[in-house]
Amino acid sequence: MFQSIDLNQGIRLHIRSTDQFKTINFAFKFKHELTNQSASERAVLSNVLLHSNELFPSNPAFRSHLDELYGTIMYLDSSKKGSDHYITLLAESVNDQYLSTGGVLDQVMDLLQTVLFRPNVESDTFKDSIVKREKDSVIQRIESLYDDKTRYAQQRLVELMRPNHPASIGANGTIEDVTSITSESLFAAYKSMMEEDELDIYIVGDLNVEEMTSKIKNAFSFKARGAKQKNPHQDVEHQSVEKDKVNEYQDMKQGKLHIGYVTPVTFTHPDFPKMQITNGIFGGYPHSKLFLNVREKESMAYYVSSSFSSSYGLLFVLSGIDAGKQEKAVRLIDEQLEIMQNGDISQNEIDQTVAMLKNQLKEALDSARGQIEIYDQYKDLDESFSVEDWFKKWEAVTKEDIQKTAKSIEKELVYFLSGKEELSK
Amino acid sequence: MKELHFKQLDEKLYHEKLENGLEVYILPKKGFSKTFVTFTTKYGSIDRTFVPFGESAEVTVPDGIAHFLEHKMFEKEDGDVFQKFSGFGAAANAFTSFTRTAYLFSATDHLYENTETLLNFVQEPYFTQETVEKEKGIIGQEITMYDDQPDWRLYFGTIENMYKEHPVKIDIAGTIESIDQITAEHLYTCYETFYHPSNMLMFVVGAVNPEEMMNYIRENQHKKEFKEPKTIERKFEQEPVEVAKTENSLYMDVQKPKVYMGIKAKETSLQGEEMMIHELAIQLSLELIFGRSSDFYVEAYEKGWIDESYVFDYTLEKGFGFAIIGSDTGMPKELMEAVKKELQKVEEKWPYGQDDLDRVRKKKIGYFLRALNSVEFIANQFTRYAFNDMNLFEAVPVLEKMTVADLQQSFASIQGEKQQTVFSILPKKDQAKS
Repeated sequence: MFQSIDLNQGIRLHIRSTDQFKTINFAFKFKHELTNQSASERAVLSNVLLHSNELFPSNPAFRSHLDELYGTIMYLDSSKKGSDHYITLLAESVNDQYLSTGGVLDQVMDLLQTVLFRPNVESDTFKDSIVKREKDSVIQRIESLYDDKTRYAQQRLVELMRPNHPASIGANGTIEDVTSITSESLFAAYKSMMEEDELDIYIVGDLNVEEMTSKIKNAFSFKARGAKQKNPHQDVEHQSVEKDKVNEYQDMKQGKLHIGYVTPVTFTHPDFPKMQITNGIFGGYPHSKLFLNVREKESMAYYVSSSFSSSYGLLFVLSGIDAGKQEKAVRLIDEQLEIMQNGDISQNEIDQTVAMLKNQLKEALDSARGQIEIYDQYKDLDESFSVEDWFKKWEAVTKEDIQKTAKSIEKELVYFLSGKEELSK
Repeated sequence: MKELHFKQLDEKLYHEKLENGLEVYILPKKGFSKTFVTFTTKYGSIDRTFVPFGESAEVTVPDGIAHFLEHKMFEKEDGDVFQKFSGFGAAANAFTSFTRTAYLFSATDHLYENTETLLNFVQEPYFTQETVEKEKGIIGQEITMYDDQPDWRLYFGTIENMYKEHPVKIDIAGTIESIDQITAEHLYTCYETFYHPSNMLMFVVGAVNPEEMMNYIRENQHKKEFKEPKTIERKFEQEPVEVAKTENSLYMDVQKPKVYMGIKAKETSLQGEEMMIHELAIQLSLELIFGRSSDFYVEAYEKGWIDESYVFDYTLEKGFGFAIIGSDTGMPKELMEAVKKELQKVEEKWPYGQDDLDRVRKKKIGYFLRALNSVEFIANQFTRYAFNDMNLFEAVPVLEKMTVADLQQSFASIQGEKQQTVFSILPKKDQAKS
C-alpha cells in the first residue's frame, strides 16, 4: 500500500500514490514516551507551533496565508496510543489540477517546513506571551472534559481502574503539569521532539513518488536519532483496584453506567482477531447482544455498547440509563456476557460480525487519513499488513474460540455517574 | 437517465426522476471500495401542522414525531432491520433534522441486497401500539441524554430565544411528555403524507455502476404500487422579524459559562441559485468578520474571551434562518459586547473590499474541494441543496462569480439589533453563591 523509505536512523517516509482523492495529505508523527509531564508539554507545544512562526509571526498572518492556499488545513494534534504520546502535524492541500492557479502544493510543503524548523522564537526560546495564552487554552481543554458527562465518566472509570498508568494519562496531560511549564522547559521539549523523537512521515495523494521523496529529503533535514525500540505496551505495572463498584454524583438527569473489564488479549496477542469478534457480538454493533437485549427488548437505553481497548487489554461497556435502574442494567449486561461464556452464540451472529469487521476495514481505507492510521497501527506487527490476511483471520474464528475468549473477560469495576442522591427518586 | 458532467471537478452525476416521482442521483467515485446510499424524505421536525394525505382539514401532531417515526421504521414484524444490514456487512443509520429525515447505509459488499433492504424497509411501514409504547423508553433516554449536554441546550436555548411561532424552536426529539402522546395512528398519518416517493430523494455515491444501479432502483419501484401524489400542504404561523426574547440563561453543572449570540434572518424565502448566492455570501461575510484571520478573533483570543470551543455558523432553510456566534468563556459579557460592537461597525460602514473577498473565497473553494472526498458529505449535502432547488456542484462556480456587493446586500438579512439575542449556560456553582 505505502512505499516506505528510511530517510535517516529513526525517520521513515511512507508514500502512497493514488488518484482516489482531490487533495494531498501529509502526516508527520512524532513519538515520545507517555507521561503526565510529556503529554502536558507536548499538548502546549502543538498549540504554540500552530500559533505562528518565523515567517508568519502572528496568528492572523499565519491563518491568512492558509486561507490564500485554498484553505489548506494544517494542524497539530496531541494524541496517545499504548504507552506513547504522539504529536501529529497534519496538512491537507487541494491538488493543483483542480485549481485555475498552480503552485499550491509547493507552498504548502514550504509552510510545513517552516512550522517545524522555524518556530516563532526570541533569544532562543518561545515567546512568553504566546506560551502563557496557549497554556490557558490547553487547561480549558482539559477542564471542558467535565461538561461532557459521557467522556468524564469514562475518564473516571479508567482512572479508578488504572491510576498513574498510560491507560489513564490524558493526551493533553494534567492542569498541574501544564501550569508548571515555562517558555524554557517548552523549548527544551521542542528540541527533544525535533532531535530525539521517532518520526514517521506519511504522504497520500495523486503524486509522483520519486519526485516527492526527493522534495522531502531536500526540505526536511531531520538528524539521525536513537535506534527504534519496540514498545511492549502491556508491561506497564498497575495498582489493583480495591473496590468493584463506585458511584459518583453530579447535577444531571441521566445515569451514566460505565463498566470496565480486563482481558489478557492486546493488539499484538495472537487472539486479537478473536477478541474483535467477541466484542462485536457482545456490544460492538446494532446486531449485538447488548443492543438487542438491553436496548430493543428491555427499552432501557438509547445507547449501550462495548468497546475493546486493544493497547491496554481493557474492555468497556457504556450505557445511558434511568438513574434508578442501575442494578437491573448491570444484571442484564452481566447476563449477556454469561450467555456468551456459556457458548450461546449463533453462526448468524458470527457471520454478521465478520461481515461488519470486513466492511469497517475496507471502508476506513477509503479516506487518506484512514489509510495512514491503519498502516501506522499495523506496521508495529511483525507481519506486513494485508486486507486479505485479516479477512482470513476473522473467517477462521469459531464459536468455541469466542466462548473461550469471552471466558477470559473479567469484570473489574462498575462506575456509575448520576444525579445527586437527594434528587433521585 | 440524464448525465451531468462537472468538468472542473471531474465528476459525472447521473439523474432520473422515476414514474412515481422519486428523484434518483448516482455519482460513481473512482478508487472507492465503499458505496454510500441515502434515502431521504423532505420531512423534518418543523412539519407539525399539515393537511394529511387524502384529507382536507389540517392537523397538528405531537412534537418529536418525525424523529419517532424514523426510529420506528427500523422495526418490522419479522424483527429489526439492523439485523439484515449486518448480515450483508452494511453499517446502517438514520437521522432527523429540522427539514429532513434520512435513512442510509454504507457498504463495501452486497450493494444491491443492501439497496433493496433500504428501499423496502422505508417503504413498508409497520407500526403497532405495542411497539410504539416500547420505543418511548428508548427515545425517553435519548431525550434525557440530550438534556445533560450543555452544548445542545445552548444551541436550542438560543433558537428558542429567537423564534416566537416557528416550530424550529421545538427540540427535534420532542419532550418526554410530547412523545408520550404519540400513537401508531399518528405515525401512519405522517407516513402517508410525507413518505410518498415524490417527496423523496435517493443518492448513491461511491463504488457503483450507474446504469445497473438505476435499472435496479427503477425495477424495485416499478413493482410497488403508490397512490397518486398530492401536493403537501404545510402550515406555518407568521413569524415576526424581531427575536422572541433578547436574553435568557440556564444553570447547569458545567465548569465555565457558555454563551451564544443568535441573529435571526429577515430573508428566508429564497430558493434555487438566489438562495445559494445569498447563503454563501453570508457565510463569507461571517468569515471576514468573525473568522480566525479577523481582527475580532485576534482580540477575543488574546484577551481570553474565547477558547477552542469558539464557533460561528449560519443556518438557512425555507422559513427560518439564523447566525450563531459564541464560545465557552469566563467573560460572557465582554464577549457579547465585542460581538455586538463588531456587528455595529459593519452596519455603519462596510469595511471589506476585493482582496478580502478573494481570500475567504479561496478558503471556501478549498473547503468544497476537500469535502468532495467525502461520500457522506456529498450525499447529505446534495440532498439538502436539492430540497431547496440548488445543486451542490454549482457551489464552486457560484463562489467564483461572487462580488463584494453580493456580500454586503446579503448580509443585511442579519443586520439589526432587534434580531439579536443572547443565551447562556451558567455554572451551577455560581448560582449557589449568588
